Amino acid sequence: MSSIIKARSLSRRYGRVKALDGIDLDIPAGRIVGLIGPNGAGKTTALKAILGLSSYRGELSVLGMDPASQRDQLMRQVCFIADVAVLPRWARVDQIIELTERLHPNFSRQRCLRYLEATRIRPRARIKTLSKGMVVQLHLALVMSISARLLVLDEPTLGLDILFRKRFYSNLLNEYFDEDRTILITTHQVEEVEHILTDLVFIKDGRLVLNSSMEDVYERYFELMARPDQVEAARSFQPLHERVLFGRHIFLFDRADSASLETLGEIHRPSIADLFVALMGDGTNEGSVREDAA
Amino acid sequence: MNVSVKNLWALMRREVWESPFAFKWTPLGIGLLVVFFTVLMLVLGARFDAEMAFTLDAVRLFGDLPHEQKRLMVSGFLFAASNLFLQLMILIILFYLAGSLFDDRKDRSILFWKSLPVSDSMTVFSKLLTACVMVPALFLGAIVLTHIALLIIGSMYALMAGINPVQDLWLPASLPRLWTVMALGLLVQALWLLPIYAWLLFCSSWAPRLPILIAVAIPAGISIAQHSYSLISGFRLPDYNVGLIMLRRLGSGVLPGNANIDFSGGIENIEFNEGLYMSFSGVFNHLLKPEMWLGWLIAAVLLAAAIAFRRRATDQ
Repeated sequence: MSSIIKARSLSRRYGRVKALDGIDLDIPAGRIVGLIGPNGAGKTTALKAILGLSSYRGELSVLGMDPASQRDQLMRQVCFIADVAVLPRWARVDQIIELTERLHPNFSRQRCLRYLEATRIRPRARIKTLSKGMVVQLHLALVMSISARLLVLDEPTLGLDILFRKRFYSNLLNEYFDEDRTILITTHQVEEVEHILTDLVFIKDGRLVLNSSMEDVYERYFELMARPDQVEAARSFQPLHERVLFGRHIFLFDRADSASLETLGEIHRPSIADLFVALMGDGTNEGSVREDAA
Repeated sequence: MNVSVKNLWALMRREVWESPFAFKWTPLGIGLLVVFFTVLMLVLGARFDAEMAFTLDAVRLFGDLPHEQKRLMVSGFLFAASNLFLQLMILIILFYLAGSLFDDRKDRSILFWKSLPVSDSMTVFSKLLTACVMVPALFLGAIVLTHIALLIIGSMYALMAGINPVQDLWLPASLPRLWTVMALGLLVQALWLLPIYAWLLFCSSWAPRLPILIAVAIPAGISIAQHSYSLISGFRLPDYNVGLIMLRRLGSGVLPGNANIDFSGGIENIEFNEGLYMSFSGVFNHLLKPEMWLGWLIAAVLLAAAIAFRRRATDQ
């Protein structure tokens, strides 16, 4: 059983809207997968289905289990932070820790307390007295202290300061992640996760637009910053996308002839954000760039 | 310990953590109130009764009563002192159950609870068990403390009057029997009220807002509809009125012993005796009633529906 998540024609409708439109997905163990998409693309719907929080059509197995009917067993191996970190407001920090310890077989109290030491959260504090960012910190500390095989993070760093974000991702990579664990992240802050991802999945209107490993992505897509006199020549190679930065034209190519393009300017890796704009950007966006260029 | 028993215990403690005021401080507060008013009465009494001659005389007269009478008076007094606890307890349980599957949906912390390896049926069951066992146990604890406090106050008067507090107060109080019957009575009462509890949990599991209001409005609405129907059916009132059935069930379940009090002959015909509040058979007789079993059947259906709604609570 190498696949942690296996989905076949996974679908979900809300009334007449297709939130998920027949997704096939295989996520093997030991990967850090970024699920990236615009608002309303179906990211949260997909995650909810994977976590057994909503119903779906199609086949879906997570760690060999059916999430809809076996959520409680699945949660021994899976932990998640949903789009807004919400902890019960009436509880005290130490109560939440004790409850998680009693209910979760794979929770380590020591680890959790160690993570909390780096914050200003006191164990006797009530959650309703904590700031939004502190609640997220607490939730992250709880989740990172559970040794799960699959960690699902839906916008995990919303409302956190830069220092904590950096520390969180470095902890995630250095202490938490190993070859048996899989992490699935959705975020709009792509530049933050770009360097830790091993796989990239783009989703738009309930369909997968891109699903490949980062190596493949970088092999397939590259950017050319064309010399001013070579712009027209570059355009003839049918770039996916064109943008202008400080008067220089930058083209994004998919599986193009890199040897010939190299003669037209500098070639470099695209950032995920640029790739996202190129693959997901709607027509109007592209049109305006072309107008600028003209 | 079995994992599910361990989880259930952790979840029930969670419920007490969430509502410490209702479940812990309220019964203790009532106990303090009962003791406070008892002391106040005694102090006022001492003001009117110079040198307390009459009071102490009455205590001595009480000491001369036959044992059976002392037993009826002391245990009856203690049982009566616990009425306020039991009535408020039902009120607290009703409100607690109506909110129990609603509050975490409202503040979205349901996502945190669903991230724990606890099944939805376990969650619903833990709330029901909190209402049926945990809260009655906490209230009984406060009742026991209040009984002891009242008996200590009584013992001081007994000593002043020169009668033996152990012989004339503590033994007639028959505390072990009183407390056991009350504990069993509370359990049977919970079983009796199970359909009402399950109805509240059911409403709590799907109500978009104000679950307690919805839980009351639905049977009240049906009740009124049934009555209105009598306007077009020759003013014949319905034989079975949902709202009245639920009210009667609730009313006859408020005190551990009172479901078997027969009010049909009018209240003046009820004889005050030990059987009303301190008989094991009176408590267990309820278990043999067909209404009891019918209630469990209804409760089972409502609980299954509540679990199904809980499972889908994050699915919109």
